[in-house]
Amino acid sequence: MKLERTLILAFLAVAALLPFVMRSEYLLHIGVLVLFSLVLASSFNLIVGYVGEFPLGHMAFFGIGAYTAALLSTSFALPIWLTLPLGAVVSAIFGFAIGGITLRLRGPFFVIITLCFAEVLRLIANNWVTLTNGPMGISGIRKPGWIEAADALTQKTGFYYIALLLAAIALYVAYRFVYSNIGRAAVAIRENRFVSQSVGISPFYYALVTFILAAAMAGTAGAFYAHYISFVGPEVFGFAFMATTIIIVLLGGKGTLVGPIVGSLVAVLLEEYLRDFKELRLSIFGVIVMAVVIFMPNGIMGFIARRREVRDGGAQPSAMALTGREVADARGA
Amino acid sequence: MSQPVLQLLGVKVAYGKVQALHGVELAVEEGEVVALLGANGAGKSTTLRAISGLLRPTAGDILFNGKSIAGWAPDAILRAGIAHCPEERHVWGEMSVDENLRLGAFLCNDRKEVDRRMELAFERFPRLRERARQLAGTLSGGEQQMLAIARALMAEPKLLLLDEPSLGLSPKISDEVMGVVAELQGQGVTILLVEQNVHRALRVASKAYVLETGKVVASDTAEGLLGNREVLRAYLGA
Repeated sequence: MKLERTLILAFLAVAALLPFVMRSEYLLHIGVLVLFSLVLASSFNLIVGYVGEFPLGHMAFFGIGAYTAALLSTSFALPIWLTLPLGAVVSAIFGFAIGGITLRLRGPFFVIITLCFAEVLRLIANNWVTLTNGPMGISGIRKPGWIEAADALTQKTGFYYIALLLAAIALYVAYRFVYSNIGRAAVAIRENRFVSQSVGISPFYYALVTFILAAAMAGTAGAFYAHYISFVGPEVFGFAFMATTIIIVLLGGKGTLVGPIVGSLVAVLLEEYLRDFKELRLSIFGVIVMAVVIFMPNGIMGFIARRREVRDGGAQPSAMALTGREVADARGA
Repeated sequence: MSQPVLQLLGVKVAYGKVQALHGVELAVEEGEVVALLGANGAGKSTTLRAISGLLRPTAGDILFNGKSIAGWAPDAILRAGIAHCPEERHVWGEMSVDENLRLGAFLCNDRKEVDRRMELAFERFPRLRERARQLAGTLSGGEQQMLAIARALMAEPKLLLLDEPSLGLSPKISDEVMGVVAELQGQGVTILLVEQNVHRALRVASKAYVLETGKVVASDTAEGLLGNREVLRAYLGA
């Protein structure tokens, strides 16, 4: 808990100082991508890591946030400090509706049905031309006035700090969530649904609350994306964002607060670095992810945590190196 | 005679299309330990799950202090005063003993009250105090069972449903667990106990029901049942 907080604060502090030394549009763009991915990954991690279900259609909420911001900005000329929270609210409402249906299912059924919702939304975005402009998408989403007036480098810096603010909020919310009663309940359910019910925790209720929170976070990320790229098309519901987010969370370590930070840094930088390999890029990426899943099933942070346990538990290494479940398995066998 | 704490009236439960309970009738009086006996698959655990709301009865009624609780959500039933200590001594293996116990009082929002109950739990089970910081998964089987019981008691229930507390434990540890059951009764906790081992259960219980394929086929006082060789042989293999 202590270490987690220190790492998060250190990351945010370094991130806040970076633009003073990193005076390059390209590098700042990468920075924005890292921070933006971090928000999305933190949101996804709440469900994968704490509810223990895998919402393959999570980008539905990202897309809803993006379209909400795009429509509010172009039709009503609402400023960014209104469209970001509104994107979150609209996504949360969808989260309530979709979560209310899908969280009654578990395992593969949940995965498929959430994916279906994302796909339905993509089709709507593609075909409801009068609202969404169909495949043409919505362009010309306004940047904040003070950013528009500035030169290119200052523009990037401005967006960088907005992204940093969102990332800080996302991490703070995730932190508060994990160490609240709701977070504890969610972990209890993930670890043992049956016992949770026996102590009076209602699995559906806590899963739904988490789901809505995650939806709101993803919606904020979507709204930010809309303003940053200033264009939103049906591909925001597509699988590309989903794939990156899954990779980040698995790579960094699901169910840890620092995991999404590490994952975003590694994944975004790697993705940029591998650009030279053109078509091969995604294949190489895929191999790396497979290797991580096989050799570090709990991600980088899970791997580090495990090493620490082995080191600190020197007195009774055999028991402490194993997680509780492994001990239980060993005993049952 | 006073009103029973718990009363099951013709309770039927089905898993999908498979009927598991065919109209179970039983009553538990305040302050007593009642044993629910029967072979594997007779419906003992199913009965407990129906009482604690994990399963919804398809017919019949469950009365707790005279009030119907059939069909209530598990947390509402726990709030009303029935705690369920599930079989196979499920604990949260990757959480500490302390965290496991605190989660047992999840419905209690008063920190001071939770601390008081923690103290009570540690007084009842001194071994758990020694191991408070340890991961529950690293406890021995007997300790895990004690933890599961202590956790159920953190809700301060009026009635405790105890599902096979001696399952998979050595005879010596099982006797210890039964000792705990007897102690709890002395402290005024009403207990409905599911057990495979007839003799062990009847040492602490005052009354017992015998279940067979989802129906109560015999019920008697502990002495009465121990003297009834036919029932013992036919249903309990003892």
